[in-house]
Amino acid sequence: MALSSESSRPKPPLVLPGFEHVKRSWNATYAAYAARILPGEYYVTKSQEGVYTTLGSCISACIRDRISGIGGMNHFMLPASGKDESTTWTATGLGAATRYGNFAMEHLINVILRNGGVRGNLEVKIFGGGRILENMTDVGNRNIAFVRDYLKTESLRVVAEDVGDVFPRMVVYFPATGTVKVKRLRSLHNNVIVNQEKAYIDTIVDKPVSGDIELF
Amino acid sequence: MTITPSDLVKDIGGLVTLPDVYLRISRLIDDPNSSANDIAKVVSQDPSFTVRLLRVANSSLYNFSSAVGTVARAVAIIGTSQVRSLALSMSIASSFDGLPNTLVSMKNFWRHSLFCALIARHLAKQARRCDPDTVFTAGLLHDIGELVIFNRMPKQAEQALQAILDSQDELPVYLAERQVIGFSHSEVGGEMARQWNLPPLLEECIAFHHDIAAAKRHPREVALVHLANIFALMAELDTLDLADLPPIDPLAWELTGLDAECVEPAVREAQAEIEAVEKLFT
Repeated sequence: MALSSESSRPKPPLVLPGFEHVKRSWNATYAAYAARILPGEYYVTKSQEGVYTTLGSCISACIRDRISGIGGMNHFMLPASGKDESTTWTATGLGAATRYGNFAMEHLINVILRNGGVRGNLEVKIFGGGRILENMTDVGNRNIAFVRDYLKTESLRVVAEDVGDVFPRMVVYFPATGTVKVKRLRSLHNNVIVNQEKAYIDTIVDKPVSGDIELF
Repeated sequence: MTITPSDLVKDIGGLVTLPDVYLRISRLIDDPNSSANDIAKVVSQDPSFTVRLLRVANSSLYNFSSAVGTVARAVAIIGTSQVRSLALSMSIASSFDGLPNTLVSMKNFWRHSLFCALIARHLAKQARRCDPDTVFTAGLLHDIGELVIFNRMPKQAEQALQAILDSQDELPVYLAERQVIGFSHSEVGGEMARQWNLPPLLEECIAFHHDIAAAKRHPREVALVHLANIFALMAELDTLDLADLPPIDPLAWELTGLDAECVEPAVREAQAEIEAVEKLFT
């Protein structure tokens, strides 16, 4: 039986340039391939395939052109700053931390547009920002505040969201249809997810963002 | 060299020990010449356990119509073997303090275990012919093998958890462990139960809660813990959608005579009780 299902499985769809390194695997539930992204990564596709990730306090924006179906997902968070000024967590704030959020959002949007997406057709879904560690300042909330502010400033429409609360999440998104499946994960996974997110924060803090963000 | 569950458990013998009061009550229960009075006497010699036993006896778990003021009365109305179960339940969290890990907080670990215990207890009252206090203990202990794996094999345990996050359909934990380590927390917990000479009912619930067909002596109780484990995740994640959860073995419904009607009340009751019960048992 395994053999026949193996052979009925199509080849993975063509991957857009720049995303060759992203690992894709077959999703039996959706009968489609899906690309796994990690903190700091993103993935854009023009094909009938999914993108999935697991989120703790990080945010994923799922963005697609609702007419052509081109779209993708990112996965980011803002590094904590010493000061706890909520005003610095807006997209227009000048704090260095917001640059990483802007960077993640602009990369995703630019690549969608470069591959034929039309700005006026974009629809956005946002997920994550959970408070999965007790006794930790609520970085999840800052990330949510940032992404909401960013999308408002850019006049991009949020059509669905599942953010905040205390759960990690597994998110699977299909840009071609806009279908998304969000699953809450049990607290057993909190520490592994936190470690992943910390490792990502360490890499961005060590390596400042270069100034090559394209504006559009 | 391949490590087996019994190797792991042998290693931790000195780090996790059961309390004296539990061992002494057990010995008395196994002794045909002992009486409820003897058991009450043993309990009274442990002031800290006495206080906690009376607190539990007067809690909403029992709902006795009048206050339970003495150990003798508590033993008489709760029952001797139930008092033994409580002695184990009340000490299990502190017994495992000697086995720390970095993968899960003890608070989150015991919260899931307590949800499972409360739900198993609730279901036992409906399924009849099961002792609610004993399955409560079984629920509380069902994942203890996890704490052993997390402490002794942290790297492989993390890889197993990582494999779940990488899987798109949330691979069940015990299957991820079998893939990465070669055995799962249920086998390790079963070994632990054997080493401790726990009653066979507890041993089977711990060893077979993911594999209920393998339970030969206490299939009903094992099936209850299997269901309670999944409903405990519903209570934790605050969802009633079975599609979000690991699959229920249909055999569990058959063995317990329960049906899907029982899910919501069990989950809701456990959610209402959890905070008070956390104070009593952790």
